[in-house]
Amino acid sequence: MTLQTSPLHSRHTALGAKMADFGGWDMPIEYPGGGVLKEHAAVRTAVGLFDVSHLGKGVVRGAGAVDFVNDRLTNDLRRVGVGQAQYTLCCDEQSGGVVDDLIQYVRSEDEVFLIPNAANSSQVVSRLQADAPAGIEVEDLHTTLAVLAVQGPRSTELVQALGLPTSHEYMSFTHAEWQGRPVVVCRTGYTGERGYELLPRWDDAGDLWDAVLEAGAPLGVLPCGLGARDTLRTEMGYPLHGQDLSLEITPVQARAGWAVGWSKERFWGRDALVREKQQGARRYLWGLESLDRGIPRAHMTVTRDGAPVGEVTSGTFSPTRRLGIGLALLLPDVAEGDELQVDVRGRTSTMRVVKPPFVPSNVR
Amino acid sequence: MYPDDLQYTAEHEWVRVSGSTVRLGITSYAQEALGDIVFVTLPAVGTELSAGQSLGEVESTKSVSDVYAPFAGTVSARNEALDANPELVNSDPYGEGWMLEMTTADGALDDAPLLDSAAYQALLS
Repeated sequence: MTLQTSPLHSRHTALGAKMADFGGWDMPIEYPGGGVLKEHAAVRTAVGLFDVSHLGKGVVRGAGAVDFVNDRLTNDLRRVGVGQAQYTLCCDEQSGGVVDDLIQYVRSEDEVFLIPNAANSSQVVSRLQADAPAGIEVEDLHTTLAVLAVQGPRSTELVQALGLPTSHEYMSFTHAEWQGRPVVVCRTGYTGERGYELLPRWDDAGDLWDAVLEAGAPLGVLPCGLGARDTLRTEMGYPLHGQDLSLEITPVQARAGWAVGWSKERFWGRDALVREKQQGARRYLWGLESLDRGIPRAHMTVTRDGAPVGEVTSGTFSPTRRLGIGLALLLPDVAEGDELQVDVRGRTSTMRVVKPPFVPSNVR
Repeated sequence: MYPDDLQYTAEHEWVRVSGSTVRLGITSYAQEALGDIVFVTLPAVGTELSAGQSLGEVESTKSVSDVYAPFAGTVSARNEALDANPELVNSDPYGEGWMLEMTTADGALDDAPLLDSAAYQALLS
């Protein structure tokens, strides 16, 4: 299979980035002169620039688009207004398992923009298309817009230096122009730091990337790969679809119930999820903090007194805390503060059950 | 990148032979492929290793890799600095990032599958 490429691909290879397949896209993992630890530190202490153009994009248009989306995706879109963004889930109608997690952006009553994950974008779009009545149009815009994430405590200075707006609140967006070219400026991110996601047209992405690096140089900006993106999101306990959320893992199990509009009459998977919420799930997602040098990794078995109690779904070394951290699906009788064992390649590592985030959030 | 005074293995380790003592680490290629190294696990001094046995692990933010003994021997020194500063393996793989010293029996090196710098680089290309 040929991997798809971002409009910034030639810039990544020119910088000498380590590239890897990410959801069918050939994307940068880390850059020379950076590396996961330095890139991670840049985002926590200064500012980092990520190419996340592989993320999906879609739009739902037509009279009553907000209601159409609100009757299908889990979160309650009526809690946010025009110009605001919201985290939501697309669940399977029957099982309540998670098809994808995504951000929805209300442009008007009649237009909702969506950013799903790269690998699931076509699934989300096709499920919505299949259910769309006359008058509602769902369009896949995957390669019409790029996404540049500018993240870190100095991101506001950087975005201001480009002449783009920064005064809007967390989880909102605004349409702006950069050198006469349209850019959507979203106050969103996946790092736990204050930050922006800039959406230029696909063909404008290269010039904007160059401008961000130039304007950010005095602020200590580093180009950051998806390696640092993963350590940053894991420190926040943000789930990654395909690991901590999936068709086999429901929002109730993943403790993503805050992204479900339980009082809504309709959304895909409602019956199964309401039932599971009432009865209690068979497992719940927790954080794990290593008490020794073990680093939890996805699919490792978690035990208590020798008996299995669950499985690690994500795990890494926390560059901020300098210890192994992870997320794990564990039996319902496991409690915060419990000390459990993780089989780390044949050695037993002791880990404590905690509620994420592992480091404080600074998104606002 | 691959000094001429060292010998190399196909598993991306380097060795420096001085008499019956051999110093060992991982190559520039190996540390680059692993990325930022966060933990190095090494055996205690006195540990006896057989050829091909795993002698420790090098763990980075994203993966973990075994390091193998290219020949039989006894661990005579371990780089204690790596406990606190594992990143030395990234920044100076042939110098301060060395991992172990082993003493070997006479003849143990003769059958070891060691490569010179040119042969190792040919393997990488």
